[in-house]
Amino acid sequence: MDRLTRVILSAVLVLAACVASFLLARGTRKPFSSEAPAYRSQGPADAKVTIVEFSDFECPACRVAEAPMRALLKLYDGKVRLVFKHFPLERMHRWARASAVAAECAGKQGKFWEYHHELYDNQQEWSSEKAEERFTAYAKKLKLDDAAWQACRKDPAANDAVSADAKDGLNAWVGSTPTFFINGKRFVGAMQLAERGSLWVDKELKK
Amino acid sequence: MSFKIPPAVGLAARLIVGGVLVYAGATKAAGPSEEFAIVIGSYDLMSKDMVLTAATFLPWAELLIGWALILGFQLRVAAAAAGALFAAFLFALINVKAKGIELPNCGCFGDAIHFTPVQALLFDSFLVSLCFLAWRSAPASWSLDSWAEGGYTGLTHGK
Repeated sequence: MDRLTRVILSAVLVLAACVASFLLARGTRKPFSSEAPAYRSQGPADAKVTIVEFSDFECPACRVAEAPMRALLKLYDGKVRLVFKHFPLERMHRWARASAVAAECAGKQGKFWEYHHELYDNQQEWSSEKAEERFTAYAKKLKLDDAAWQACRKDPAANDAVSADAKDGLNAWVGSTPTFFINGKRFVGAMQLAERGSLWVDKELKK
Repeated sequence: MSFKIPPAVGLAARLIVGGVLVYAGATKAAGPSEEFAIVIGSYDLMSKDMVLTAATFLPWAELLIGWALILGFQLRVAAAAAGALFAAFLFALINVKAKGIELPNCGCFGDAIHFTPVQALLFDSFLVSLCFLAWRSAPASWSLDSWAEGGYTGLTHGK
């Protein structure tokens, strides 16, 4: 074997190692469910475009992403379905899980989106102090059945629902919030959603 | 400078640097490039249009350089490229500190390991010095370069 052949074989070996390690890492990806209870979705069930949002109520970037998301839903009213999935970043946000459970229990009474808006619109208020008091105040404002709502918050089922969503997020390699999947295409953060989200929705609607 | 690097030290240096690059590259290449793009974008060093492209190709560059170091292919070039890559990361981290930008993590290993910028700064400095040792150790035994030249590989003799 001459020198050139050996060099070429060496290069092929290096490239093969690159591809093999990529495939090995890729193999650790797991399937995830983009489904959620009906109260956590809005828009027609048979919409051509489904947006799955992984979000954390205490995350400031998620609050920032609310404006482009609401604008997008308004623009494509009736054509797009939004599914909300909890992804509480508990290492960073003390009230992330508690707020997710509170919203989940509002959802059981058909007021998930109203509670969702309260949490994002007043994020700075409750995330800085008196979170528990504020959560209860929002529930009262929305006229939730307080006893049922409180009982739901203590029920492990609500906590489990949040954990199941978080697991789906991990399986989907969600590393930061908010992360959106528009018909499977990933957009991370408000900027990617605002800059490229509607272009992708248009493309999907034309299919 | 004319000091000689003991072969075992050179081998260890290139295996460590190569291993780090392969791990970092594979986790990022297999993961979503949009996620890595957010981290690159937060360094505020390139235009928005470039960010997603860089997030797609940078992990593959890390993989290529990492395996070239581990297998000892074009060792001098690979060690210099690795050194340049880590020096660029160092520059980016220092730039971030100087501008007062708060990074949640350095993004070095995708979502697998989260280093704070200061930890990343120390780690990158260590790796740059290992790149120098790997570069100085070339041409090395136990390498594809050595096999291609028909020399001693540590396993067998060539010609």
